[in-house]
Amino acid sequence: MSLAFTIARRELRGGLRGFRVFLACLALGVAAIAAVGTLRTGIQQGLADQGSVILGGDAEMRFTYRTADADERAYMDRIATQVSEVYDFRSMALVQDDQALTQIKAVDDAWPLTGAAQLDPPIPVIEALAVTDGLPGAIMDPVLIERLSLKPGDTFRLGTQEFRLTAALTREPDSASTGFTLGPRTVVHSDALGDSGLLASGSMYETRYRLVLPAGSDLQALEEQAELTFRDKGMRWTDSRNAAPGIEAFVDRIGSFLVLVGLAGLAVGGVGISAAIRSYLDGKVETIATLKTLGAEGGLIFRSYLWQTAILSVLGIAIGLVLGAVVPLLAAPLIEASLPFPAEIRLSPGALLESAFYGALSALIFTLLPLARTERIRPAALYRGGSGTRTWPRKRYLAALAVLSVALIGSATWLSGIPELALGAAGGVLGALLILSLAALGLRKAARRLARTRLTHGRPATRAALAAIGAPRSDATSVVLSLGLGLSVLAAVGQIDWNLRQAIATDLPTRAPAFFFVDIQPDQLDPFLAMMDANPAVTEIETAPMLRGVITQINGKPAREVAGDHWVVRGDRGITYAATPGPKTRITAGEFWPEDYTGDPQISFATEEAEEIGLQLGDTMTVNILGRDLTATITSFREVDFSNAGMGFVMTLDPAALTGAPHTMIATVYAPPEAEAQILKSVTKTWPNITAIGIREAVDRVAEALGAIATATAWAAAGTLITGFVVLIGAAAAGERARIYESAILKTLGATRGKILSSFALRSALMGAAAGVVAVIAGGISGWAVMTFVMDSTYRFEPVSAIGIVVGGILATLLAGLFFALRPLNARPAGTLRAQD
Amino acid sequence: MTDSVPALPVLALTDARLTLAGNAGPVEILKGISLSVHKGETVGLVGPSGSGKSSLLMLMGGLERATGGKVLALGQDLTAMDEDALARFRRGNMGVVFQSFHLIPTMTALENVALPLELAGVTDAFARAEAELTAVGLGSRMHHYPSQMSGGEQQRVALARAAVPRPAILLADEPTGNLDGVNGQAIMDLLFGLRDRHGATLVLVTHAPELAARCDRVIRLADGLLAPEALAKAAE
Repeated sequence: MSLAFTIARRELRGGLRGFRVFLACLALGVAAIAAVGTLRTGIQQGLADQGSVILGGDAEMRFTYRTADADERAYMDRIATQVSEVYDFRSMALVQDDQALTQIKAVDDAWPLTGAAQLDPPIPVIEALAVTDGLPGAIMDPVLIERLSLKPGDTFRLGTQEFRLTAALTREPDSASTGFTLGPRTVVHSDALGDSGLLASGSMYETRYRLVLPAGSDLQALEEQAELTFRDKGMRWTDSRNAAPGIEAFVDRIGSFLVLVGLAGLAVGGVGISAAIRSYLDGKVETIATLKTLGAEGGLIFRSYLWQTAILSVLGIAIGLVLGAVVPLLAAPLIEASLPFPAEIRLSPGALLESAFYGALSALIFTLLPLARTERIRPAALYRGGSGTRTWPRKRYLAALAVLSVALIGSATWLSGIPELALGAAGGVLGALLILSLAALGLRKAARRLARTRLTHGRPATRAALAAIGAPRSDATSVVLSLGLGLSVLAAVGQIDWNLRQAIATDLPTRAPAFFFVDIQPDQLDPFLAMMDANPAVTEIETAPMLRGVITQINGKPAREVAGDHWVVRGDRGITYAATPGPKTRITAGEFWPEDYTGDPQISFATEEAEEIGLQLGDTMTVNILGRDLTATITSFREVDFSNAGMGFVMTLDPAALTGAPHTMIATVYAPPEAEAQILKSVTKTWPNITAIGIREAVDRVAEALGAIATATAWAAAGTLITGFVVLIGAAAAGERARIYESAILKTLGATRGKILSSFALRSALMGAAAGVVAVIAGGISGWAVMTFVMDSTYRFEPVSAIGIVVGGILATLLAGLFFALRPLNARPAGTLRAQD
Repeated sequence: MTDSVPALPVLALTDARLTLAGNAGPVEILKGISLSVHKGETVGLVGPSGSGKSSLLMLMGGLERATGGKVLALGQDLTAMDEDALARFRRGNMGVVFQSFHLIPTMTALENVALPLELAGVTDAFARAEAELTAVGLGSRMHHYPSQMSGGEQQRVALARAAVPRPAILLADEPTGNLDGVNGQAIMDLLFGLRDRHGATLVLVTHAPELAARCDRVIRLADGLLAPEALAKAAE
C-alpha cells in the first residue's frame, strides 16, 4: 500500500464530522441525476416494451384526408394477420345549449387490436359503441363529460348524428401515439358516421390502419417496402419500435434537460464541496507543515489528500446512488400509474453509472485547486501561523482542471444528446458562477471599504458585520455562489413565465381572431359570410380554401433529402389557393400570378421558411394532395406572420392548379370576447359539420402546457436551491467557531447580546440580499434573451417575483446564519478566550 | 577531524537575511546573520521575543527560505534547493522539535514516530519507532493518540520522532516552553541524552537560562542581528 494512502487512512480516523456538507452536496447532486436517469430509462423501457399497445398494433399506416385505396388495402391484408381502421379528426360535440371541441376517434369492431380500453362503467367497447334504440353509442374522456355536464345515457350530437353516451373512457390504450390534441377524446363506431356529414368531401381527417403482423416479421424491411411503394402517395409509416416518437423525443429531451439541471445542482454542490475541502485543509495546515518538516514532498502530500477526497467522494457518490435508485423504485407504482403511457421503472445500471461518473468528475474538479494548494504550504506555517494556501497552485494543476472541466462539459454534451442545450447550460452555469464570483468579490470590497468610512462610526454592530463580510476568510463568496445560482434559475423562470403569460394573455388576443372555423363546405360559405356580416359584433372575417398535402419532392429529389428535418416537410401542411395576393400580403421576391392565370401550376412560398430550407425562385416542388401528386414552380415569396394566430399558409397555389380538388373553407372571425358565445352557438346550430376552434381555449391549453413546463423547471430549480441551502448551512456551521470567538471578544468589550445578534443578522441579510439581487439581474438578462431571441417578443421586467427572490435570499441566509448564532451568543467569553490561548 | 585541518562546519550562515511581507509592508526579521556551527556542538539561541531566534532556527532547518545571503547545512546550500529538495534533505539529516509539539493528531504515538522513517523508505520503521519510544519512556503509550497524552508525554513523542532517523542536526524551538518545571527538566535531560548518545549537533532556541547554560555556546540575538558578544563567538 502506498505511503500516501497510509497517511490518508490515518488522517481519516478523525471521522466524517467535517465532511457532512461535502457528502450531502455530492450525494444530493448524484441522487438527482441518478433518479432522473432511472425514470427516463424506465419510461424508455416501457415505451419500447409496450410499443404495440401504444401504437394499437405492430405497425400503422396513416393517410391524410382519405382512406386507403384498393392497392394499399391489398398490401395491408397481405402482410398483416389483422387490420383495424381508425378515423381521427376534430369536431364539435353538441348538446342542447352547449358545445365543445373534441378529437373524435371513429373505430371498427377490431379496435383496440392491442391493449385494452378502460371504461366506466366497465363494459366491453363493442357494447359501448353498439346501436341501441336506434342511437349509436359513444364513449368520452371524463374531462369532456364534465365540461358538457353529461352522464351515461344522455345524448349529444356530432355533426348531424345523434349519439348516446354509454361510458367514460378512463384509459385509452393508444392515446400516446396520437400526440398533442386540442380537444378531449370521443370514441364512436365508424359505421355511425355515415349520416353525420362530418367526413364530407374535403373535410380534414386522418385514417390510421393498425396492423397485427405475423410473429418474426422484419419491421425494418416492411417499413422500407411500404415507404418505397406508398410514401409518394402520402402514406406515413410507424411501427412498434418507435410507437410514440413524440413522447419518446419529449421524454428524452425533458430527461436530458433535467440531467443538465442536476449538473447545475452539482455545480452548486461543488461550491460547497470546495468550501468544505478548503475549510478541512485550513485545519490541516499544521499537519501538512509537520509532514513537510519530517521530509514529506509536496507530491506525496497532494496524493495523500487526493486519496482522502477520493475515499470521501466514493462514499458521497454511493449515498447518492442509493438515494437516486431507491427513491424512484419506491415511488414507481405511483409514477407508473400517473403517467398516460407505460413505464417500467427498474434499477438502471447505465443511469447510475452516468451519475456516478458526473459525481466523480465534479468532486475532482471542485477539490483539485484546494488540494493543489497544499503543495504551497510552507513548514514555517508551524511557528508563524497562516497557511499560505491562498496562492495560485502550479500551472500543471490549472491545466488538469481545464482538461477535467472540458471532459465534464464534453461528456454532458455527448451523453445528453442535445448538444446545443448542454453547451448552453454549461455556458449559463459558468457565466452565472463568474458573475456571482465577481459580485461576491465586489460585495467584499465594498463591505471592507464601507466598514472603514465615517458612516460606521458609533455603529460597532454594523462595522463588525461589514468587516466580517470583507475579511480575508469571509464566507461571502460561498454564500453568494451557492444561493445565487439556484435563485438565478428561479428568477429566470419567473421572468420568462410572466412575460410569456403576458404575451399570451394581453398581446395575442388583441391581434388574434376569436375563432377558426374549419370544414366549411364551399356551398356553406356564402350563408356563413352572410351570417357574420349581419352580426355587428364581428369586426373582421378572413376566409380561404383549405386543403392539406405533403411535400414529397423538391426539384425532383426527395423533400427530406433537401430540407432535412424542417417542420414544413415533416408532416402534412395546410395549402390554399388564391387568384390575387390579398391586401395584407407582401411579396418579397418574384411575382404573384395574374388573376386569370391558367398555365402550369405555380407556388407562392413563405419567405422565412424558404430561406431556412434554401429554396430559390424557379425551384419545383411536388405536393401530394389526396393521394395525387402535383408539381409546381415557385414563382414568388411572401411574408407570412404566424405569430398573431391569424391565417397563414406556407404554400399558396394558383387556383387553376387545384381546380376540381375537393376542399373545404377555413374562416377566421374577429370579435370581442363577449360576443363569442353567441357566434359559436349560431354557427354550430346552423351547420353542425363546421368545427369551431376557439383561440382563447387553444391559448389556454398552450398556457397550461407552458405553466406545467415552468412548474417543472421551478421544481428543478428548487432542487438546486436545496443543495444551495446545504452549502449555506455548511458555510454558517464552518464559521461558528470564528463567531464564538468574535462574540467572546465583543462581549468582553461590552457588547450586549442584542447588539451582537443584530450584527450577525445584518451580515447574513447583506449576503442574502447580494445573492438575490445578482440572481434577479441574471434572471432578467436570461428572460430578456429568451423573450427577444427565442420567442421573438418584447420583454418587460417583472418586479413581483424579483422581490420574492431577494426576500427569499435574505430569509434563507438569515435562517442559516441565526441558527448558528445561538451558540456564539450563549458562549461565556472567559472559557472561549482561555481556550484560544 | 584533526587539530590541524578544521572540519567543515555542519551549519554555516553567511549574511543570512529574512524579510517577510506584512500587512503594513515588508518586515525585516533577520538583517544579515553570519555564523558557523560545528559537528557535535550544542548551541543555544537566546534573546528577547521578536529578536528572530525562531526564524534563524527555521532558516537552519530549511523550513524558511532566506531572502538574502547563504545557508549551508552539511555543506549543501539550502537557499538553492526547492521545497521538495529541502524536504528530502531533512529526512535523514535533520530532526526538529517545536514548542507546541506538532504531533499529527490523527496518528498514534507510534505512527507519529515511524512517519519520518516511512517517508525515507525505511523498512523496519515501526520496530525502530517502538525502540525509540521505549527509550524516551513511552513504551506503554505507543498506541495512544496525542489527545490522550499529557504535554510532557507529547513532547517526548516529538523528541523521539525527531531523533529516530538519527539526524546529524537536531533543531529545537523552545522545547520546554509549554511544559512545567518537572516535565521541562525531563525533556532537557532527554534532549541532551539523545545528543550525547547519537553525537548529533544541537541548536536550540530557549528563554530558560538553565537550558542555555548546558549549551557549549550561547548566541544572543537582538532585533534581527547577532548581539556584539555573540558576534565575537560566532566568528570563532
